[in-house]
Amino acid sequence: MKMPTQQLSPQEEQEKLLEEAVNIVKNQSFQMKRCLDKGKLMDGLKHASTMLGELRTSMLTPKNYYELYMAISDELRHLELYLVDEFQKGRKVADLYELVQYAGNIVPRLYLLITVGVVYIKSNELSRKDILKDLVEMCRGVQHPLRGLFLRNYLLQCTKNVLPDVEEESAGKDNETGTVMDSIDFILLNFSEMNKLWVRMQHQGHSRDKVKREQERRELRILVGTNLVRLSQLECIDMDKYKKVVLPGVLEQAVSCRDPIAQEYLMECIIQVFPDDFHLQTLNSFLRACAELHESVNVKNIIISLIDRLAQFAQNEEGTGIPPEIQLFDIFSQQIAQVIQNRPDMPPEDIVSLQVALINLALKCYPDKVEYVDKVLETTEEIFNRLNLDHLEHGSPVSKELIRLMKIPVDTYNNILTVLQLQHFGPMFEYFDYQSRKIMSCYIINNALENETLIPSQEQVDSILGIVSVLVQDQSDQPEEADDPEDFAEEQGIMGRFIHLLEAEDLNQQYLILNTARKHFGNGGDKRIKFTLPPIVFSAYRLSTKYREIQEEDENWEKKCQKIFSFCHQTIGALIKAEMAEIPLRLYLQGAMAAGQVAFENHETVAYEFMSQAFSLYEDEISDSKAQLAAISLIIGTLEQMSCFGEEDHEPLRTQCALAASKLLKKPDQCRGVSTCSHLFWSGESAASEGEMKDGKRVTDCLKKGVKIANQCMDSSVQVQLFVELLNHYIYYYEKGCDQVTVQVLNQLITKIKETLPSLEANEETEQINKHFQNTCDHLRLKKDNPESEGVSYESLSV
Amino acid sequence: MASRKKVLLKVIILGDSGVGKTSLMNQYVNKKFSNQYKATIGADFLTKEVMVDDRLVTMQIWDTAGQERFQSLGVAFYRGADCCVLVFDVTVPNTFKQLDRNKIDLENRAVTAKRAQGWCQSKGDIPYFETSAKEAINVEQAFQTVAKNALAQETEVELYNEFPDQIKITNDSGKPKEGCGC
Repeated sequence: MKMPTQQLSPQEEQEKLLEEAVNIVKNQSFQMKRCLDKGKLMDGLKHASTMLGELRTSMLTPKNYYELYMAISDELRHLELYLVDEFQKGRKVADLYELVQYAGNIVPRLYLLITVGVVYIKSNELSRKDILKDLVEMCRGVQHPLRGLFLRNYLLQCTKNVLPDVEEESAGKDNETGTVMDSIDFILLNFSEMNKLWVRMQHQGHSRDKVKREQERRELRILVGTNLVRLSQLECIDMDKYKKVVLPGVLEQAVSCRDPIAQEYLMECIIQVFPDDFHLQTLNSFLRACAELHESVNVKNIIISLIDRLAQFAQNEEGTGIPPEIQLFDIFSQQIAQVIQNRPDMPPEDIVSLQVALINLALKCYPDKVEYVDKVLETTEEIFNRLNLDHLEHGSPVSKELIRLMKIPVDTYNNILTVLQLQHFGPMFEYFDYQSRKIMSCYIINNALENETLIPSQEQVDSILGIVSVLVQDQSDQPEEADDPEDFAEEQGIMGRFIHLLEAEDLNQQYLILNTARKHFGNGGDKRIKFTLPPIVFSAYRLSTKYREIQEEDENWEKKCQKIFSFCHQTIGALIKAEMAEIPLRLYLQGAMAAGQVAFENHETVAYEFMSQAFSLYEDEISDSKAQLAAISLIIGTLEQMSCFGEEDHEPLRTQCALAASKLLKKPDQCRGVSTCSHLFWSGESAASEGEMKDGKRVTDCLKKGVKIANQCMDSSVQVQLFVELLNHYIYYYEKGCDQVTVQVLNQLITKIKETLPSLEANEETEQINKHFQNTCDHLRLKKDNPESEGVSYESLSV
Repeated sequence: MASRKKVLLKVIILGDSGVGKTSLMNQYVNKKFSNQYKATIGADFLTKEVMVDDRLVTMQIWDTAGQERFQSLGVAFYRGADCCVLVFDVTVPNTFKQLDRNKIDLENRAVTAKRAQGWCQSKGDIPYFETSAKEAINVEQAFQTVAKNALAQETEVELYNEFPDQIKITNDSGKPKEGCGC
């Protein structure tokens, strides 16, 4: 079969239908208004009826039908205004109410009846009760769901301002004008009729159209919900009436209709349209109804929505907060437990989502009650045990929800110590797989770092490191493939920073903390201790300085310092066992300096031991020539800074330095090492020297040796470079007043450099050497031209 | 002829959820205010008769749902509106941003009157009022302006009332500070 190309798409078809209908409405309403202007009421009503006839269609989708309905009801407002006017002028209303009932078709007839009926009520309040009852009953005449829903929506809209809203007691004797109870009956009846029409839609038509039908039902839902809005607008509905009449009536309809779409929407609607204090007083009946809803209703969303609303209410500055007699948390936890029990098929992630809502409620309504949060975690743990859930796969819905749950207390408290008060927080980690544990652990540690939360006790350190053990040591369930090295370094770097937060005010406590941390991190394996043990050692050195500061208060401070240094010695030893050399060497040097400064009993022995350990590492473990030069420079620099050694210790150390420097493999390294060494004999201090050594003879010995080695260099570029460096050393000592260094020596070096420099190949390196030399000469020239009275003389210098 | 006829004006109140559209309408029509929050579903109107330059005008004020999920049938109630009142909460900058999604980011701070006024001017000099539904500050004045402007355009272009004027009102859910711009 060939399809004609100009066939309209369903959407175009709809647009066309709507346009045609709207045109008729425009036309008829124009005529209607003209007739009314001329006072021809009967003709006006005829046009109104024809216009309303358009609402008989079954062709339009809900949205388009709504468009049409709005266009028509706008026009009916003109009719209403006219009628009110007429009746005020004395026209009989009763006749008209009878008259419009003769309109040919039921849909136009009922719309007109409602319009007239409301005007009737406005002109004669005594009739109100009966007419309202009459109208809501008459609407039963339209049983087509779409048409019926809109008709009853029109009824609701028009009667808005005429519903009786007075207490029973204050109503008249014969009670003809009605009371708020009549309004409640009226709306509840309209509501249940609309809900039935709405539910019936689900079961009409072909099953292949189910998706479309459900979509259309969802669009129409606001018409049903408007009934609840109307109820919430009645001022005479107080707590008592809401509790005893309104809510039971609405819930009864919602539960008994057994329709998932209706149930989910109506429950949500109740939450949104009625005020918070009503909800607070009726929590149990509402939540009980939730437990009875159809199994495919997403009850989780309903409860979460209620909790969110109440939590917000509790936080509202102007509100009165949650009344103390309402045990909000207990009620919700019990009812949620009931809901979970009633629904054995509820997915675990939904169960956790409910716990998320509960924990939010606890934190927002009862921010001080840590035990409530703990209770939620405990319940979650019990549920997981019952469901035999563990090692939740990372990325699975339930794992994601659980992560969300666990992050809430971390984010809310922003204090890891408070989180630690939750007894059931740590144990929940066991339900995660390796990946999720890692994410959560990093999250916690980062939170501590961001908030700079200090961890002041051994027990707390123990708990935290136990919880984040995935970052501390190998796990039985870790993947065979190692972590990405960059990620690993980043994560361990975080742990390194975290160690600096382990800080007690009491120094003895601090020592215990470091021991605890050492035990945990000591199990981390060779890859981790590289990141974690050095900060512990540094923290321990800092502790020794603090003991020195309070030595007046603690007579045992010296013994404690010795303990600290042996703790460090042993910790550094662990790093050496893991085949590291450069880090331990630096830690030894740092320790030697620390020991020297703290100056406790025996500190010289300790410092010497640390220095000699550094030498052993240098000799046995460091083979790369660059690393060797760097290491020996550090050793020399450290020794130069220290003043705690007696001559019997200082002499072998400095001699050893000189020896090591001269035994470096490469000539340039030797030259640099030896000239650096010269400083040990000048500004170095031993107990014997009483201040700096200032041994000019040994200084020049070192430098001469440096010159000799430089002369042996084959590469002339390197050679010149070394000469320039040596010249700077000489100048330094000359200016410091070292007698053994003379201007002649300087002149010799300058001449030598000047001779060789021009022959160097022009390149970047030469450029640098040249610059260095020129800067040096500039300095000398400046000194020569501006002689200082106190300073040394450069008179005979030739630059 | 227009001066003889009864005038019916359709006014629509728009704005984000929770800014106080219903409160504003209730204060204007019923002189009532409540702290309780009740969401509006769909669209609903109240009528009020006012005198504008010796003419009796019936204002049909449409209160609309701020939450999109409560407008499942679409926005057919816009049809035939004579005037729009745009409401935002001066304490919640986002509610101002929602009014005009094409605006540059306003950062996270409260909306100044200057900023809102500027916005109104840029949209063809629409009037702006800062109001409080709770304290009934500026509410009457704002709606009076609404009625006046809508009526002026009603008489001018009776046939083309599909293009409504805009009136903007800010509401700060209680504190004596709301803005309304036209």
